[in-house]
Amino acid sequence: MSTEQGAAKPRTRKLRTWTAFGELGRRPTEYEVLTHGMNHTLRPTPLELGPEVLGNRWLREHRDAISLRVPDWDAFRDPDAVTYGSYVAMQDDQETYVEGLLERFDREDHDAGLSEEALQRLALCVTPTRYLAHAQQMLSAYLQQLAPGSYLATCATFQTADQLRRVQLVAYRTTQLQRTHPSRAFATGERAVWEQHPLWQPMREAAEHALITYDWDQAFVATQLVFKPLADMLLLQQSALELSTAGCTLDALIADNLWRDSERSQRWTTVLLRMLVEAGPENREVLQRYLTSWVPRGQAMVEAGSQLLAASTGRAQTQIAEAVRAGWRSLVEPAGLSVDPV
Amino acid sequence: MLLNRDDWYDISRDLDWTLSYVDEEVAFPQCWTGKRAIPDEAWQAWDEPFRVSYRDYVRVQREKESGVKAVGDAMLRAGVYQKLDPAHVAAAHLHMGTTCMVEYMAVTMQSRFCRFAPTPRWRNLGVFGMLDETRHTQLDLRFSHDLLRFDPRFDWAQKAFHTNEWGVLAVKNFFDDIMLSSDCVEAALATSLTVEHGFTNIQFVALAADAMAAGDVNWSNLLSSIQTDEARHAQQGFPTLQVLMEHDPQRAQQAIDVAFWRSTRLFQTLTGPAMDYYTPLDQRKMSFKEFMLEWVVNHHERILADYGLSKPWYWDKFLHSLENGHHAMHLGLWFWRPTLFWKPNAGVSKAEREWLNEKYPTWEENWGGYWDQIIANINAGRMDLTLPETLPALCNVTQLPLGSAMSRHDLEPAVSVYEGRTYQFDSDISKWCFDLDPARYAGHMNVVDRFIAGQIQPMSLAGGLEWMGLTPDVMGDDAYGYRWAAEYAPAMAD
Ligand SMILES: [Fe+2]
Ligand SMILES: [Fe+2]
Repeated sequence: MSTEQGAAKPRTRKLRTWTAFGELGRRPTEYEVLTHGMNHTLRPTPLELGPEVLGNRWLREHRDAISLRVPDWDAFRDPDAVTYGSYVAMQDDQETYVEGLLERFDREDHDAGLSEEALQRLALCVTPTRYLAHAQQMLSAYLQQLAPGSYLATCATFQTADQLRRVQLVAYRTTQLQRTHPSRAFATGERAVWEQHPLWQPMREAAEHALITYDWDQAFVATQLVFKPLADMLLLQQSALELSTAGCTLDALIADNLWRDSERSQRWTTVLLRMLVEAGPENREVLQRYLTSWVPRGQAMVEAGSQLLAASTGRAQTQIAEAVRAGWRSLVEPAGLSVDPV
Repeated sequence: MLLNRDDWYDISRDLDWTLSYVDEEVAFPQCWTGKRAIPDEAWQAWDEPFRVSYRDYVRVQREKESGVKAVGDAMLRAGVYQKLDPAHVAAAHLHMGTTCMVEYMAVTMQSRFCRFAPTPRWRNLGVFGMLDETRHTQLDLRFSHDLLRFDPRFDWAQKAFHTNEWGVLAVKNFFDDIMLSSDCVEAALATSLTVEHGFTNIQFVALAADAMAAGDVNWSNLLSSIQTDEARHAQQGFPTLQVLMEHDPQRAQQAIDVAFWRSTRLFQTLTGPAMDYYTPLDQRKMSFKEFMLEWVVNHHERILADYGLSKPWYWDKFLHSLENGHHAMHLGLWFWRPTLFWKPNAGVSKAEREWLNEKYPTWEENWGGYWDQIIANINAGRMDLTLPETLPALCNVTQLPLGSAMSRHDLEPAVSVYEGRTYQFDSDISKWCFDLDPARYAGHMNVVDRFIAGQIQPMSLAGGLEWMGLTPDVMGDDAYGYRWAAEYAPAMAD
């Protein structure tokens, strides 16, 4: 009798974590628990629909037929292990910092004291970037929706949000400048700069070509190895130095802060690159092939972008360009890739 | 000067430019934008139904996150879960298994808006949608992971959509369609407007109330917190509807009518049984029908009227289904309980039956007989007769059993033939959906189609269960071990 109850009760496994982890050999981190294996479409017919519907055709053609080969895309981990909770906390801190900057410089009447040269620089190199950041936002969202695993997709989600952060901060600064300097073309002139200024065109050209790059692996190369890092190295990292020299202290500090987001993007990109080349030498060849096809656009961005930034008071154009090229190389070279023109 | 949000907001959404290095039609393809013949200028009228700054978003959401986490940790420490009624717990299993992955799919739908929506205003709002849905996914995952050690069924929050469990396939089929395979316009009308704005109240408000009554403070709090985000981003559908009403009202009417019916069927499966059968009797707030009428039907009628749309042609049939569909689904779910990953409560004790008859005057006439037979078999010790031997025939649109949409008297077959293949439907409304756009549904094989085609081996119920990924430790059974049937047993003469 005493064993009856025990026998009637089916023995249930006590699970410690998702069975999807298999034999992990350790406790998964909170980040892993909240990110693991959430893409249900990684199967021969991705969506639970007829094989010829739009969603299935698109995933088959642009995701499942890519040339990169990886045994398990969900082996990737974001080195920053960003979760929703950590993201909003981290970015709230960053926004609090920027808010503090805005208040401090407002008290000091910073914008009213900007020189002619400073104002020209802001109108040329800072306020038009809302278009650039919007392009990056769209491209990041595309990387999310076609990503072959949820760890990757989640990195792209937060990157998309980072881009909107930048768009809104630029809009904020643009409006402040417009109000302090109403006779100038702040808020109204940026589209023409973005569409027509010769030194902006390589940037826009790369953005538009990246937008029509739909195969996920090529889109990754275009966005994460060329367009976004170069644009950010130029218009955040290098720009911050030049802005500071020109007396645009507030915008230099904001650019520095936005550059942190870009560095986070480069960190997960670097880790993914390493995973790809470790998965097989043919992956490096594939990446190099795509990268090589993008190098001319990247070089054109660096040439024109560095000219855009160079000013009489600051560093020479060649110096800026060299700094960006060095940054570009340090992003791709650890994976054995080269950005030297063939 | 320091600025308010509205000072700079217009500039932050003034982001369109004229593409000149590539063809605009290639960069924003029709298949994803869904613009069709709507002129570009029309999208200038697309106005955000709500405004958020990134700055405020991260501040407010950070606070919400710490609030939910604090409650969750406290409830876990207090051992609340272990004291919950087993029937209520089934509602949580069902919800996590069928909803968590849908939240994740919604990230990707929002991401589609961010990339392909026909106006930058919408592309920007989509970013907050992506973040919100990432939050909901991770909240569900954390909640379920914390409870894994008490019940392996919570593994299905992560696992369900990787299996072929038939109910999950039905949910997946619907959301793969309206979230992941639809252009932005269609997704906004079907998902944002119909599902998120119209129906999620029932999942997130009604279930939250029931969960609170059941003492499940943690789950209740989680649902309510998710709903605060849904209520915001679900509004994205309205400006799109506004544009459509100007330029293509017929398309809006059709998309919404299809989505409304398919949502009804889905929530009859997911929420109807949870509210009217799994929630313990003394903890029920409203019946599923009452809640639907007050929160969904009224609300939908108002939106249709406000925008100048008509009620769907099937309105009377819909109301008839509202009396019956979830009772039929519940009976089917309970009967085919080995095919579930949760333990359904039959919910037909004498007292519960009285409640059902009070809420649904035709309940006894329609469903009482079936349950009496089940009860008689249980009490006669003939459990074999209460269990299925085969799979039910399924609808090629909703993926739900034939005969589960209306009352037991409405069993006329609904069939269409398209390109030589015969398709069956649970109602003439589902048939109407199919006939509007056969290519959208036609290539798909439902579970029974696959069974008949020999894709599921061995061709037996056991083979089917294995194919569906149902392991013994999660396989469904009666929530109370049939104890509720004893009160119906004929008194033993002694
Ligand atoms: Fe959600
Ligand atoms: Fe949502």
